[in-house]
Amino acid sequence: MRDRRQRTTIAIGWLALLLLWEVAGRLHWVADGALPSPSGVLRQLVEDWGDYPPHIWATVRTSLIGFLVGNAVAVLCGFLMASWRPVGRLLSGINVTLFAMPPIALTPILVIAFDGDAPRIVLAALATYYPTMVATVLGLTRIDSRLLDVVRLYGGGRWAALRWVRLRHALPTLLAGLRVAAPNAVLGSLLAEFGSGSGAGLGHYLIGSLGRGDPERLWGIGLVATAISALFYVAILLVARCWVGAQAPAQESLGSQGDAARGAGTQWLITLVAVVLPLLAWWAAVWGLEQAGVSSFVLRTPADLAAELFSSTRPESLASIIGGALLETLPWCLAGMALGLGFALLLAILGTLSPVLERVLMPLSLLSQSMPLVALTPLIVLIFGRDGATILAITISVTFFPAYVTLAQGMALVPEATQDCVRVLGGSRLKQVRLVSLPWSLPYLCAAARLVAPRAFLGVMIAEWLATGTGIGNLLNVARGSLDYGLVWAVVVAAVLVSVLLYLMVTVIEQRVLKRFAMTPVQ
Amino acid sequence: MTLSRRRFLQMTGSGALAGALGWPALSMAQNGQGTPIGMQASWVNDAEFLGYIVARHKGFYADQGLSLDYRSGGPDVIPEGALLSNRAEIALTTVESTLKAVTQQGAPLVIIGAQYQKNPAGIVSLASNPIEKPEDLVGKVLAVPPVNRLAVEAMLEANGISPDDVRIVPYAYDPTPLLKGEIDASLDFVTNVPYTIGLQGEKAVSFLLYDHGFPVFNDTVVVTRDTLETRRDDLVAWLRASRQGWQENFKDPAYYPPLFADSFFQGNGRSIENEIFFNQAQKSLIESPNGIFSMAEADIERCLTALERIGIQASRDNFDTSLLEEIAA
Repeated sequence: MRDRRQRTTIAIGWLALLLLWEVAGRLHWVADGALPSPSGVLRQLVEDWGDYPPHIWATVRTSLIGFLVGNAVAVLCGFLMASWRPVGRLLSGINVTLFAMPPIALTPILVIAFDGDAPRIVLAALATYYPTMVATVLGLTRIDSRLLDVVRLYGGGRWAALRWVRLRHALPTLLAGLRVAAPNAVLGSLLAEFGSGSGAGLGHYLIGSLGRGDPERLWGIGLVATAISALFYVAILLVARCWVGAQAPAQESLGSQGDAARGAGTQWLITLVAVVLPLLAWWAAVWGLEQAGVSSFVLRTPADLAAELFSSTRPESLASIIGGALLETLPWCLAGMALGLGFALLLAILGTLSPVLERVLMPLSLLSQSMPLVALTPLIVLIFGRDGATILAITISVTFFPAYVTLAQGMALVPEATQDCVRVLGGSRLKQVRLVSLPWSLPYLCAAARLVAPRAFLGVMIAEWLATGTGIGNLLNVARGSLDYGLVWAVVVAAVLVSVLLYLMVTVIEQRVLKRFAMTPVQ
Repeated sequence: MTLSRRRFLQMTGSGALAGALGWPALSMAQNGQGTPIGMQASWVNDAEFLGYIVARHKGFYADQGLSLDYRSGGPDVIPEGALLSNRAEIALTTVESTLKAVTQQGAPLVIIGAQYQKNPAGIVSLASNPIEKPEDLVGKVLAVPPVNRLAVEAMLEANGISPDDVRIVPYAYDPTPLLKGEIDASLDFVTNVPYTIGLQGEKAVSFLLYDHGFPVFNDTVVVTRDTLETRRDDLVAWLRASRQGWQENFKDPAYYPPLFADSFFQGNGRSIENEIFFNQAQKSLIESPNGIFSMAEADIERCLTALERIGIQASRDNFDTSLLEEIAA
């Protein structure tokens, strides 16, 4: 009964939101009419429908191929890492780089390196890799150790354990990872389409349509892209239901698997290799491209770039150009990160206080994640102008969602008994949140900060590129435009490096804080 | 019955896979017989490149023994990049970017022709808030694509205006901020945006950078020194066929756009009327008494002077007019 009433309330909430949007669009309440009404978007979508099929097909095709390739690699790596622990340590440098690097910084290099559909496939695959890899490792390792004991008792070895326990346990977690990876693949493909110059694809259609000054068309394209992401998500959800049914997702590991003791020398060696591997990968990629006939004019090895950074042949050295731009970008990045986290925390608290409100706002925040920002730029600059406010708005919109999902997950896991403790003593809901939910979800707040740090940098770069024309985001654009490949590589490497450093910085802070409260980090 | 290789690929669907993996050999084969020659356009498929599509459609390249492998551009595509990574032999470029790369970084490139005698880039504003000359820009907000920033600053300086007196913000080719008055003017092709602005019930005013202190070519035809040496005859043949294509196109600027509505222009996000407007507007910017692609000495001279003003020390050697002389003969 209660469930049904709640559903009705949520449906009414959605309807009210839709109605509000419609009225706001029709009466030009927002940004002098730059926010179109849903009916207007729909009308335009129907009118343009003839244009869509080839674009949809191109986007689906490239993201699907990228999704398959990325997952194959991710599952293989995840399997290796779960099977031999040192592999995980060795690959950690590459993993963190792949997780943290801003995709917009990578496109110029991908477009130089690959041809045709390949940049889109590669970017889709890269966007897929991390969530699937993490899910594979978690699925294969976080296992009720009693099950392993059973296998061992019956004389089973490593392979038997893998076959009877680990693989079966990994499947639900893996499928959950794939669900996160699928929309990533679509976004990755879309982003690379801006640069690949191919004739079909929703990203291409979006670029072609920008010049029309027609927000209804742009929103329509954004909604179709969102629908494709959602379809991918639902398809995998259905596969998961069919295959693993109601089987519970992986359990928390009982009994920790501490690192096998190794000498300090070995530890250092592993760390060193982990740091050097991404550099080696970069070197190998450049070498391969040179063999494939790409002119060395557009390529830079780590050594080339290092030499060029401080070379005095330029009026201003690359290092000082990049340094100046970073100084401009970084303060906004930190501010945006704090605000994004704060906003997510506020939403998560509101969500625990009123679950109905949470479910009403959820689709809206999902939409904000998959709409291409290029399509929204006119709206954003009309509302927030071209200064700091826009940078913060875009950064919050890029960061809050993953942070919110992580925090909400943490708050949902608060043990009922602890909450009852406050309730029994007459504490209000708010007090419950303050005394129980918040401290309990501290590890989740830390995990959210870790997720958000590189994204905040990405958000500021996007804002600088699209709206303000400042900092490192603008530099990337200028470098491309003036064919300054040394600068392109320097900006890309600097962006990746800063993202990785931000991530590591938050990880260190997280470890300190959690150690202080005797808590363990969340994966 | 024997199956041709292409038919076989189509039937098995591996053609699509090959395309997805970016194997260039297959896309070249689609244009029939002839020596393949790749050209990289500077923007998405629109009327700016109609001459080449007409030439291909009418078989002008085939008559010259060529098969054109046409590559669309886009906002992130650096046309010169296609030359330097060996994906195309010919690129249409922005002259200031090309010569900056040549003079400051030693890119081995040379200009062998110019599609636009007059660069179509101009300052576009609304008639209700008109900006009709450079001086009107003082104290205003001007949106400029980062690629064109140098050119705008050169125009401002040529008119004695400090770039600090104009607020320059990024432009993402969407005229909405202009229509809503968030910006006062934008830098865009005058062959294109005024049409969109007209559709929204406003009137556009514009002036060309070309007429106000920045007289340069645009869509310059660029090749590598290496290609110039090894494939000179093919380049001459390409220039000849392309010139023919543009001449054919301009016989009636309204004739060809509808013909390619379902092929070249399909799904580019704009209407065919827009392309016809574009095609008509660009006619006077492309045509030259010395023939299409012409680079007259006086024009090269003016272009070099303008570039020098923005710190690009290019020279006459960066232009090679000898191929054009061959097709004139």
